[in-house]
Amino acid sequence: MIAFENVTYDYPGVTALRDVTLSLDHATTTALIGPSGCGKSTLIKIAVGLLIPSRGQVRIGEQALESAHLAALRHRIGYVIQSGGLFPHLTARENVTLCARHLRRPAPWIAERFQALAELVRLPGDLLDRYPGQLSGGQRQRVSVMRALMLDPDVLLLDEPLGALDPMVRHELQQDLRALFDRLRKTVVLVTHDLAEAAFFSDSIVLMREGRIVQRGTHADLQRAPADAFVRAFLAAQQPLPPLHD
Amino acid sequence: MTRIARLVVLMLALSCANANAGPVVIGSKAFTESVILGELATQMLRNGGIEARHQRELGGTAVLWSSLRRGDLSCYAEYTGTLRAEIYAREAAGTDAQLAALLQRDAIWASPPIGFNDTYVLGMRKAAAQKLSVMRMSDLVSHPGLRLAFSNEFLDRADGWPGLRAAYGLPQADVRGMDHDLAYRALAAGSIDVTDLYSTDAEIAYYDLVTLQDDRHYFPAYDALFLCRADVAPDVRKVFEQLAGTIDAPTMARLNAQAKLDHVPEAKVAQAFIRDALGVESRIAKDSRSARLLRRTLEHLSMVGLSLLAAVPFAVALGVLAFRRPRLSRPIFAVADVLQTIPALALLVFLIPWLGIGYAPAVTALFVYSLLPILRNTHAGLADIPQDLRDSADALGLSSRARLRFIEMPLAARSILAGIKTAAVINVGTATLGALIGAGGYGQSILTGIRLDDHALILEGAVPAALLALAVQWAFGMLERRWVRVH
Repeated sequence: MIAFENVTYDYPGVTALRDVTLSLDHATTTALIGPSGCGKSTLIKIAVGLLIPSRGQVRIGEQALESAHLAALRHRIGYVIQSGGLFPHLTARENVTLCARHLRRPAPWIAERFQALAELVRLPGDLLDRYPGQLSGGQRQRVSVMRALMLDPDVLLLDEPLGALDPMVRHELQQDLRALFDRLRKTVVLVTHDLAEAAFFSDSIVLMREGRIVQRGTHADLQRAPADAFVRAFLAAQQPLPPLHD
Repeated sequence: MTRIARLVVLMLALSCANANAGPVVIGSKAFTESVILGELATQMLRNGGIEARHQRELGGTAVLWSSLRRGDLSCYAEYTGTLRAEIYAREAAGTDAQLAALLQRDAIWASPPIGFNDTYVLGMRKAAAQKLSVMRMSDLVSHPGLRLAFSNEFLDRADGWPGLRAAYGLPQADVRGMDHDLAYRALAAGSIDVTDLYSTDAEIAYYDLVTLQDDRHYFPAYDALFLCRADVAPDVRKVFEQLAGTIDAPTMARLNAQAKLDHVPEAKVAQAFIRDALGVESRIAKDSRSARLLRRTLEHLSMVGLSLLAAVPFAVALGVLAFRRPRLSRPIFAVADVLQTIPALALLVFLIPWLGIGYAPAVTALFVYSLLPILRNTHAGLADIPQDLRDSADALGLSSRARLRFIEMPLAARSILAGIKTAAVINVGTATLGALIGAGGYGQSILTGIRLDDHALILEGAVPAALLALAVQWAFGMLERRWVRVH
């Protein structure tokens, strides 16, 4: 569904991605994980066309991601970021339906779709006409997921969507999101720095370091056969800390 | 929109009303003598059954001369010295025949002299002059410590201070520019020692001044006369020929004193002169304070409003362009910065050859001054939108027009509105200069008030201008609370 072919990306003075090749199948959930600066967010921004690769190319389905038909391709991609990225001057409803209204989808279709999504992300109706500033962090992320799903995209890209939430809200949203992914059968790419979260959500984990893919596999694969010392160290670092006094 | 369009048409009609077909338009410079002569001419024309209008207190010789040439004015009172030394400074205009030929070439008709020579003189307090025994201009050479202050026009023009200094070899180093009327007060207060005066000035006796004898005959004659476009009706010329030789220097000084020191309105001074000298009673329109204030307010508001109305869409569009095309932003800002630094009066004078006098150049100048604040704030408002919101908008796959309309402009609205507010407040202040080119407004009261040393009149212009600035601030505050969501 999404294929990165020999993708390299250079920021001025820094190479964020080095010759990355990665193919993600339809209706799978993949977690991109790795330490800060490993290139996982850059990869997801390239997938939605926010960054143009210095070399290599990206395909969504059969279509190469090119600026000529970027807008149409983006309608097939949902994108959720850590801060939610909701427009503060629009209500939750306006945020979610903005693009559909702009594309002149019929009003009944929009209303029906909006209602279905609100039930899917379990947002009570009285919150839907509030502005983002009047919602909690968890509620904002639910609205953000609604917005990403509004046009029923094939691909859902989530860049640390739960990173800014407190643990209880985060736990609840993790459960809801997984149920949602299972139900929707979309190609989901989730960026996280939390291995447990990656394992909880995904069919496969892609571990990155310094712009390269170090290992790809299930959580069990990574634990059973770490590709190198870095993978071992990364796994060890994600273990719960032992108590100070035993 | 139709109401706005109608207003624009009305304003353009007003500013074009000076064309030849309409009434005879008499201009005057922004000093009392010129205003009295302008009033005198207007009343005389009306008494003769000729429709006439007085466009009073315009900002200097350049404004009047170019308006006369362009046809915005029909006639105004000028001085032969100014014609020779300033208007025809680069031409051979030494003899009367040469001057007449130049005027004929430019299609200007000159009336016979009115009867007085209003030449430049230098004035000192009598006590100070006696103490230093300065009686002639050449006596100034031996007192290099004297503080000199001259009207800005005198300081700059070639036949003013630079020529005078060269002719007498004057050594004074403390020389500054000052408004003519302020210079009198500074002289009386002892904060300066010498200033330039006109020989018919009312204040010479009032402040007990002496005029220094021009012992090297540096200053040329400044015989007053009326200049008219050659295409004015013969009846108009006849009226000015009738005025020839009727006013000598003491009479002019007396008329000046009535207006300036006794605060008699110029219209009444002229009316009284016409009654005494010619036995004719001219009718003058009454101008109550409230009617005047209303008129000035409308003039001021229309200048500020029209210029803003034009500037907002233009400057916002430029701001968006500068934001979208970073390559263009540097030249756009460079031009806007340069325009902002042009002194207002210079810009106004510069615009007269194209736009004449009145609303059109005033509104254009205010339009120019509105651009930078609105442009800058539009650009800043767009550039300040957080990267994650910009990414979200991009990722939604909105067209760039939709993104601008639904996301970027609303988010930048607060900043843009602040820019418009800044421009509006600046314009309320700058519009007071509109009076210099006949656009009226509160500046007219301020200008007249300064000229007549009439504090009440100055306040009649300054207080409403300040209140209007505050009202504009308040109105934009309301608008901001209502339109721009707090987030």
